[in-house]
Amino acid sequence: MVSTDLLKQVSIFSDLSGEQLARIASLCREETHDKGDVIVRENEPSKELYIIQEGTAAVVLGAPSLSGPTPILHLGKGQIFGEFSLVDRGLRSATVNATADGTILYVIDSDDFIKLCDEDNHIGYTVMRNIAADLSFKLRHYNLTWR
Amino acid sequence: MIYQVSYVVIGGRHPGTIRNQEERPEVGDRVEFAGQTFEIVEVLEIIPPRGDFAYLHATCKPVER
Repeated sequence: MVSTDLLKQVSIFSDLSGEQLARIASLCREETHDKGDVIVRENEPSKELYIIQEGTAAVVLGAPSLSGPTPILHLGKGQIFGEFSLVDRGLRSATVNATADGTILYVIDSDDFIKLCDEDNHIGYTVMRNIAADLSFKLRHYNLTWR
Repeated sequence: MIYQVSYVVIGGRHPGTIRNQEERPEVGDRVEFAGQTFEIVEVLEIIPPRGDFAYLHATCKPVER
């Protein structure tokens, strides 16, 4: 089972109690990917939220070109992707590839997490607030890139 | 404190990276990501800390080999 101490290091779970983190940990499964592995594909149905526990991943957009798909962001330890699945249940907005061997991910099924949020509204409010803040941070990053 | 750091590369040609780390980034530090080395030229704290997390944007430039 995923350790709650590790979940404490993920900002979307900030301000949750130990008991609440334990409930989230019970929903997590662990996956390991090597460099080049496709973790999620653009335009596929989104069903999971991913947390990078170790290693790195690249978010890429569009069809492969002569120079390959366009990376729009690199993510490292403690970062999440696939959060759109919790927010709008839409198709994957990008492809995400592991960029290091031994990249360890925690995976949470979106339906399971939504059910938990319905059972414990404080978890739901806190995590959704934190996801909004995380998306805001990513948008600020993008804006600063083009400053 | 856990620092969530957005590394923004000058010029708009590199997407940069976001990662958590235990050390606060400082101007002059060299960092590696996506197979390249960069030097931090600016650190911005646009968002206030929340709980155990601080949120920083570090502008950096590629280090020429």
